[in-house]
Amino acid sequence: MIKINLKNSIIDINLEIESTSFVALSGKSGSGKTTLLRVLAGLEDSVGELHVESHVWQDSSTCMSVQKREIGFVFQDYALFENMSVLQNLLFVAKDLELAEHLLHVTEMSELKDRLPRTLSGGQKQRVAICRAMMKRPKILLLDEPLSALDSQMRSNLQNEILSLHKEFGTTTIMVSHDPSEIYRLCNRVVLLEDGKIINDGSPKDILLKTKGSQKFSFEGELLEIKKVDVIFIAIIAIGQQLVEIVLSSDEAESLHVGDKVNVSTKAFSPTISKN
Amino acid sequence: MTNTIVALVKEIKSVDNLNIVKYDFNGTALSMMSLELSENVKVGAKVRLTTKPTYIAIAKEFSGDISYSNKLHVKILHVENGELLTSLKIQVNGTTLESIITRDSSDRMNLHVGDNVTALLKANELSIAEVLV
Repeated sequence: MIKINLKNSIIDINLEIESTSFVALSGKSGSGKTTLLRVLAGLEDSVGELHVESHVWQDSSTCMSVQKREIGFVFQDYALFENMSVLQNLLFVAKDLELAEHLLHVTEMSELKDRLPRTLSGGQKQRVAICRAMMKRPKILLLDEPLSALDSQMRSNLQNEILSLHKEFGTTTIMVSHDPSEIYRLCNRVVLLEDGKIINDGSPKDILLKTKGSQKFSFEGELLEIKKVDVIFIAIIAIGQQLVEIVLSSDEAESLHVGDKVNVSTKAFSPTISKN
Repeated sequence: MTNTIVALVKEIKSVDNLNIVKYDFNGTALSMMSLELSENVKVGAKVRLTTKPTYIAIAKEFSGDISYSNKLHVKILHVENGELLTSLKIQVNGTTLESIITRDSSDRMNLHVGDNVTALLKANELSIAEVLV
């Protein structure tokens, strides 16, 4: 069990996390997600208590240094040592060649171990960063939007690798993410932050299914146009990068105005699905 | 919110996350198919149900059996004929609903204000808009 009761000028967090669980931190920018990770790592000051299993990392009298905390940290921007090879980046953290080779094998990076970071693609650099974070066999793995700069295929590959490392090493993983599919695939719990405080906490399905009543197929959109056709109305709504059309009755149309933010939903029984 | 019906939850049958909820709507039984229900949907709860006007079918002098779980005996209050479609305002148990059907069907069935007809609605096309108490 990891018991977090920490506050500073940005966050005020009271949270208990089961060991070996995979938790997503979500919320708008400025909600304190990255600050919480940095506070857990000891990179930012806070007051309160932090207990990791039977160890006290922080309380009123002690504050363990960054180096002593058994933490692996992966940033969005990789943060590799540019003058060191892939293998040297890993060995800098811990002189454990066997572990380094194993991690590079798991992430299919063995053949690139002597390359310098600048010669690697974004996905390869992030693999190195993830391997490096695992070199301390961390109790807690902190991931700050690790995959947000990568394309969707690369994201999917790295998600699988992160999950298998998380399981193999039995780490407790806390990941900042905005991507619902990523959260659903990897995490067993989502903690939603706003203004430095927890405003929602539950399973990915409970938190991410933005549903009202029994409607399970639900999207936020903006009403672009509404026009009368025969005895019905047709609304054009922008949802993400897509436009959709929805048939409305005159009563439904009456309360809507162009520019309104709307929620478009239907029951799970209605949509049809086909492969691209 | 339009096309809504206030009803009481009478019974909930569940298999995994699939549910059939039975309602009492002023003496008329209704049935709804749903995946997960929110926690406050339980027997005795009062809910506002909703459906799209295009989901409500109309039958005249209806006899025989049909798989549609929800059959409402309604009176036609208003008929608005378009070129292709017809909007009907129908009333049942003090509640007014709208049904949108094709103009062809409306003409074929010779639907008029004051007619007593049956409104048909499948269980999967009824949903909960709001839990009231």
